Amino acid sequence: MTTRAPQGRTRPGAADLQVGRPGVVWALPAALFFGLFALLPMVLVLVLSFTQWSGLGSPELVGTENWSRLLDDPVMLKSIGLSLVLTALGVVTQTPVAMLLGVWAAGHQWNRAVLSAIFFVPLLLSAAAVSVLWRAVLDPNFGVPAQMEWLFGDGNLFGNQSTAIAVLVFVSLWQFTPLHALIYQGAAKAVPPMLYEAAEIDGAGRVRSFFAITLPQLRNTMITSVILMVVGGLTTFDTVLILTNGGPGTDTTITAFYMYQKAFRGFDFGLASAIAVVLVVAATAISLVMVRLSGYDKMRSELEGV
Amino acid sequence: MMNTRTRKSLTAAAVASALVLPLAACASGDSGGSRRPENEIHVMVYGDATNKVEQQMVDTFNKTSDVKVVLDTIPGADYQQKLQTIIDTNAAPDVFFNWGGGSIEPFVDADLLLPLDDFIAEDPQLKDAFLPAVFNSAVIDGTSYGIPMRGTQPVMLFHNKQVLADAGIEAPETWDELLAAVETLKAQGVTPIALGGADQWPTLMWYQYAFDRVAGPELFEKALAGDTDVWDSAESHEALDKLSELIDAGAFGTNFDSVKFTDGGSPALLRTGKAAFELMGSWNYSTHYDVDPAWTDANLGYTAFPAIDGGKGDAANITGNTNNFYSVLAKTRYPDAVRDFLKLMYSDEFVEAQLAIGNLPTTTNTEQFLDQAASPEYAAFQFDLVKNAPHFQMSWDQAFPPAAGTPLKIAVQQFFSGQIDADGFIAAMKSLPASR
Repeated sequence: MTTRAPQGRTRPGAADLQVGRPGVVWALPAALFFGLFALLPMVLVLVLSFTQWSGLGSPELVGTENWSRLLDDPVMLKSIGLSLVLTALGVVTQTPVAMLLGVWAAGHQWNRAVLSAIFFVPLLLSAAAVSVLWRAVLDPNFGVPAQMEWLFGDGNLFGNQSTAIAVLVFVSLWQFTPLHALIYQGAAKAVPPMLYEAAEIDGAGRVRSFFAITLPQLRNTMITSVILMVVGGLTTFDTVLILTNGGPGTDTTITAFYMYQKAFRGFDFGLASAIAVVLVVAATAISLVMVRLSGYDKMRSELEGV
Repeated sequence: MMNTRTRKSLTAAAVASALVLPLAACASGDSGGSRRPENEIHVMVYGDATNKVEQQMVDTFNKTSDVKVVLDTIPGADYQQKLQTIIDTNAAPDVFFNWGGGSIEPFVDADLLLPLDDFIAEDPQLKDAFLPAVFNSAVIDGTSYGIPMRGTQPVMLFHNKQVLADAGIEAPETWDELLAAVETLKAQGVTPIALGGADQWPTLMWYQYAFDRVAGPELFEKALAGDTDVWDSAESHEALDKLSELIDAGAFGTNFDSVKFTDGGSPALLRTGKAAFELMGSWNYSTHYDVDPAWTDANLGYTAFPAIDGGKGDAANITGNTNNFYSVLAKTRYPDAVRDFLKLMYSDEFVEAQLAIGNLPTTTNTEQFLDQAASPEYAAFQFDLVKNAPHFQMSWDQAFPPAAGTPLKIAVQQFFSGQIDADGFIAAMKSLPASR
């Protein structure tokens, strides 16, 4: 499937070759890279999921034992729920903020350019650094909660499930909003000014223009951004590792973190591989469904008739 | 057919999800010893400040030996993973650092390690020169697999002398005195005991002592050997009751699950006088000393864990990290050279070098050199504690094999924070992956 040039509304076959459209060879480096570092390991992981292996000796085939263990594992089921909740909360909180910020930053005023540059700083920090930073800021005895008892109570943010999840969502919001704002900013700049001019002549105000022009024009951008958020959310790992360590108890043990625990703390690579397969299948399925439902795969242009 | 964009998002999804997958490529190689390096012994150690002593021992050894020792230091956090990955390959070291007990048991089961009985027969000092309570934590099913190679780290009850003086109390020697101290301190607005609950292992220390004092070391030994019913015994229930008593009295405050030892949170509570006690390993002294030497000299107090009336365990028993150990790969090419290298671990030079950097070695000759320690009084207190202990319980998470570590610590945290009750804790202990 990687070898054929995209079809669709372009004319098929001979005409493409005449204008020098990419052939098989063009796709070769990417295909090789993808095959070697993504497909092959995935196949190996699928095989490993049917074995028992601690990293010592050779993997031992155990049939579907890992899979039946997973099905009966309450922590696994809980982790899937937690992953979905964290992902959904991430999308719900980040999308509106990122969109408003992106559209605002798309304006040509110089102060907006300066402020945008400042807003994008969190994007430059690694997730690990961000997590360590927030962990210190939220220390119950010496951090912000100790100064604001009216808001944080005893400051036991990492000791309750709801507050621990809230911290994870907040830190993701703080860190990833700039990335998505950047995407929206680019898209908002690409909206033809004539649309706004026409709307203005028709008497539309700012709010009306936003809902009637900007929002529909950002449709494909929103889908891209949400897919990134969903995939990123499902595979969140470093913030959980550093901020909550999956706790209290297993209350923030999301699937990706559970996989890490099984693989690199418990050295149960068979079970961990089964979890990895679940993650790959789930993330792929969710992306596919979103692409289908949103009609993104039809690649309909938003500029038809302009 | 899918179009390009769809494929890209799929690719992104797959790549992101598959971040962990390359581990599959690290399949184990063959374990033949023929291709091991000539005239070299590789010694793999946990990378930290103690490496300079290890390097000094290597240099001493290499001066007189034809077979040279090469020291490979592995950055701390990755140590166990790296070891697990290479130990069954041709890149495996000849000798490696470990924590004894459960940390080497899977390797013993896989027949990767050399029993040290022959070494000990040739040189009895390789066993007799070490404190038995420490040496025994690398003995598995009656066979020795490790030689102590760093310092011991018993867990002690630390306190802030100033806070105790202000409250007019003494460091408790019994459980009841501890409970009384908790009430007095609470009335003064001080959190009685600092606890880095978010790290989980500091919480585990309380269980180790409560169970040892109430039930004696036998309960845990049986549990480790696979007799999980002991978790449901009357003694087990009583130990958990003791802990509940302390938790319910508010000894640890309410937000300990958000506090860590490792980021300096709980030590700061003790040092600033917001808390009075902290149960911690002996490294706590240098943790405080690094931040505030004057405060540490004047105000950091330390005692043994309180006795529990009517308990079966000897009040002189201790828990913690007995020591770290060197174990030897069965396929090493130069066992005689390895044996001679290990002999250095009870030499005077070794003891003096360890003491100089603040570690407390566990050889019988350590006692003669205690006055050379960085803080002689503290070193002498610890050494007596270890020497006089009838039993030195290795930390539970290290006594169990790695697979049990996470579920153990999760249950430990959940019982302390009230997410599960005693029955829930017992059920969790019973379902831990068995030792064998």
